[in-house]
Amino acid sequence: MNGDVNCLLGHWPFRKLYKNTLQDLLDIHRTNGIETGYVSSLNAIFYNDPFEGDEELHAALQGTDYRHILTVHPGLPGWERDLDDGIERFGIAGVRVYPTYHGYSLNGPEMERLCRVLESRGLPLFLTVRLEDERLDYLIKPAPLSVQNDLIPFLGSHPDLTVLLLQLRYGEATAMKEAILSHPRAFFDTSGLKDGLFVIEKLLRQFPPDRLMYGSQYPLYCLKSTLLLVELAELDPEDKARILGGHRLFAAPGS
Amino acid sequence: MLIDAHTHIWGGRYEESTAELLAACERYGIDRIHVSGLNAHQPDEAEIREMNANVARFMKEQPGLVQGYCYVNPVHPGSLEVLRENIEDRGMTGMKLWVATYCSDPRVFPLIEQCIAYNVPVLIHSFHKAVGQLPAESTGVHVAELASRYPEAKLLMAHFGGNCYHGIKAIRDCPNVWVDFSGSLFRRDELDYTVRQIGHERIVFGSDMPITYLVNVGQVEEADLTAEQKECIYSRNALTLFDRTRRLPAQRRAYA
Repeated sequence: MNGDVNCLLGHWPFRKLYKNTLQDLLDIHRTNGIETGYVSSLNAIFYNDPFEGDEELHAALQGTDYRHILTVHPGLPGWERDLDDGIERFGIAGVRVYPTYHGYSLNGPEMERLCRVLESRGLPLFLTVRLEDERLDYLIKPAPLSVQNDLIPFLGSHPDLTVLLLQLRYGEATAMKEAILSHPRAFFDTSGLKDGLFVIEKLLRQFPPDRLMYGSQYPLYCLKSTLLLVELAELDPEDKARILGGHRLFAAPGS
Repeated sequence: MLIDAHTHIWGGRYEESTAELLAACERYGIDRIHVSGLNAHQPDEAEIREMNANVARFMKEQPGLVQGYCYVNPVHPGSLEVLRENIEDRGMTGMKLWVATYCSDPRVFPLIEQCIAYNVPVLIHSFHKAVGQLPAESTGVHVAELASRYPEAKLLMAHFGGNCYHGIKAIRDCPNVWVDFSGSLFRRDELDYTVRQIGHERIVFGSDMPITYLVNVGQVEEADLTAEQKECIYSRNALTLFDRTRRLPAQRRAYA
């Protein structure tokens, strides 16, 4: 079963999204042979109380097989209770964080506490490296997480946490290849792999296919763009199936 | 039919660039590519010669598949002769401006006038950036200024002007500006937004190969376009743009 580990629902304050409803997401997935998605709330990034965005998302996802990824801002009070509520009420499959939008360090005490809780609950961390291409930011300009200063030290400090890096670029993935491969449960998605012809083939010369998962970051990005990168890559069909089915790692509780 | 109006050979990497371009053409069924050479932001005369020689060589090696843009640095006193040689002697079919000057710099004007005389399009790198704007990097505003000064010039604004919400608004009232969505920006709504703003007739498929290709195809395939609109974007609009028998009217716009 093909899945999309990086989807969002809600509003994006900086430009109008034409396709941001659940039906839009279901339609684009169905059209492209994707049967499930791991969805976070765009609104929760910007709400002062992110949990209110997740309550909206929960209501939207009810009756679907899509999995809820809870947004947590670990610099705010009360997130631990929210996380437990998310487990109990929403059956969340993971937690997504946005350090560069919320203004805390990936390697600071807030994240350290969150990571300990996630490890104890057996939940994966969906780590947003960037959302927009930084050249196209409007009004606010959050710099993406740094490979050397943020991501490599973070992976080194959390060997027991399952981490999915979202919107990592090809050059960034190769620059932190050792950190990813030496971590037993570090993965990255396809949503940032835009640079270079035949980029998937090039990546798989350096990484095993089970480190890469299909993620679109729809509706901010064009789903078909990253899907074509995988579908038209000259790869062993089993490797493609691993990439498109990589989401299964998160399907079961306690992943 | 698929025409890619925006591809490159990188300086010092002729074999690698052309091999990747050819592999992509074969694998993805691309019928024609328009190629320019690029390297340093401020190329000297020798580098310009090398870039254009590379393109001319590729045109000779792949007749029918490859058409060339003459790359010029408007700062050079001999840039007009570079343009003449590459259009008249080597058969290139367009001119490429990158980031050596703004496209609205007066040093560009004689080149534009010559392109009007040849009736060939001018591909203009245009990119409005929140971070990292280069000192003389054109945006849609510069393209619109040039378009107003020369309404008979055929201008192709690359990358939707970078941030399309900036670039497309800037040129939407300039009927002599076509746009491509080449490069690595593949936000879901950019193509639909652009069609809403300027229609589909002035949108030309361009990829920026060997940097990207499939992400650009994905944009067309996912946008809310009819089959006919897709065909226009994939090929027909480029055929119109590069048709040297079709001239644009010379009158200036009333508010230019």
